[in-house]
Amino acid sequence: MVRHEAAAIREQWLGRALSTRPTDRPAAEAAISGLYRLIGLSPPRFHWVASPAAALETMPPGAAHSETVQRLDAWPVPTRLRALRAELCAGVDLRIERERQPVVQELHRLLWLPLGRSIDACLLPALNPRTGRWYETQSVSWIAHYDALRRVAGVSFTAAQLRVLALWARAAAACHWWWPRQHVCVVSERPVALHTEEGGARLHNPDGPALRYADGWRIHALHGTRVPDWVLTDPTPERIADEPNVEVRRSAIERLGWSAYVERAGLRLVASAPDPGNPGFELRLYDTGGSSRVLLAVNGSLERDGSRRQYGLTVPPYFGDPVAAAGWTYGLSADQYSRLLRRT
Amino acid sequence: MTDMSVLDQVEQSLRIPVLEGLQAQGDLIVIPVPGPIDPPGARWVRVPPEGVELLRGGAGGNTHMLVAEPGTCRWTPHRADWQDLGVFTASAEVYLLHPEHGALGCAPGTYVVRRQREHERGGSRLVAD
Repeated sequence: MVRHEAAAIREQWLGRALSTRPTDRPAAEAAISGLYRLIGLSPPRFHWVASPAAALETMPPGAAHSETVQRLDAWPVPTRLRALRAELCAGVDLRIERERQPVVQELHRLLWLPLGRSIDACLLPALNPRTGRWYETQSVSWIAHYDALRRVAGVSFTAAQLRVLALWARAAAACHWWWPRQHVCVVSERPVALHTEEGGARLHNPDGPALRYADGWRIHALHGTRVPDWVLTDPTPERIADEPNVEVRRSAIERLGWSAYVERAGLRLVASAPDPGNPGFELRLYDTGGSSRVLLAVNGSLERDGSRRQYGLTVPPYFGDPVAAAGWTYGLSADQYSRLLRRT
Repeated sequence: MTDMSVLDQVEQSLRIPVLEGLQAQGDLIVIPVPGPIDPPGARWVRVPPEGVELLRGGAGGNTHMLVAEPGTCRWTPHRADWQDLGVFTASAEVYLLHPEHGALGCAPGTYVVRRQREHERGGSRLVAD
């Protein structure tokens, strides 16, 4: 039961975090104003922008000169809001009875950790710098966890704790990232497009930007790897050869297809050998002319569409025997690897 | 995969070869070792009914799961080699499950589970498929 309820709460909060609906400006301003009041400040003036990039480049009128985004974690308001959140969490944690601890740990595993991973993978790429304690404070991961402590684990909150949690929850549900200065709070609109795979685990869109905001700011990503747009539009062996980033290079090659890449790049076949454990298929070793060789193999399992995927692995340049190169990838000798019984 | 029913597992076990030797599942390999072994400092856990998550794919999905009948398998995330994920010892057959690769069946024995690596300028890195 805990697992199903936790999954429902996780989906609900993930949906809010990765939403592309327009923000609810009145609700966001009310919740953020409420948080300012709780730390003894008057509600700020609100300055709305179309994207986090715009927020990070804008110094809003009325902002103190010391409140530059580079010093975000030292601004007074985020510092005090972090303390408010820490006090809430510590206060609730103290109210968790010993017998509820296993459920609480289960919720941490099922909610806090996966939501944190999704936010890191899908939303942080819009921020630069991406790290900062203030961004973690706004993350739905801890809010969802405490929401679930109340709704699933039956932990009792005081009325004051409920009010504080409700403000954080309303702010997180109503808008995107926000930057609270002393007299003005910059709030970003949500993205207009956000494409992920595996249920929000990482950014992925083979057909266009994976993350895009109304002001045109955008990034492309394949299976969670941020890539330049040429990887989507025109991956050529020449561009691949010039690309220094190994993840980007791999994404571009996979976009092109390993066999097409090997052919178009004119890689020289060094040797081929039957693939142990994968009857009827070969391991093929290619010379790239560079500091690595490429071992091309065929997947042991069928894809969902019934095809078999070819994939390449880079191996050290001194290998001449494909079986020895395949063994090396698992830290085994050619002799050991040749005894592979089955590969799926 | 963790919600896989016992019936699903039984149904799979009818089709999965249970082998004693070296087997690979995507970016993982299962290496039989003359067991049982008990590396110093290893923390063993009994494999629970829902299985043990050996490795998650790239960013969360596509998990390699180790599943066994309760009480028949123990696992330690002990790493003798930097590519290792850990060691399991089974008194009955156990299965490695993955959403995109066929399942592996391992006969009773002790096995090291190891990740795959790739060469890159100046060294190696682990493969995440």
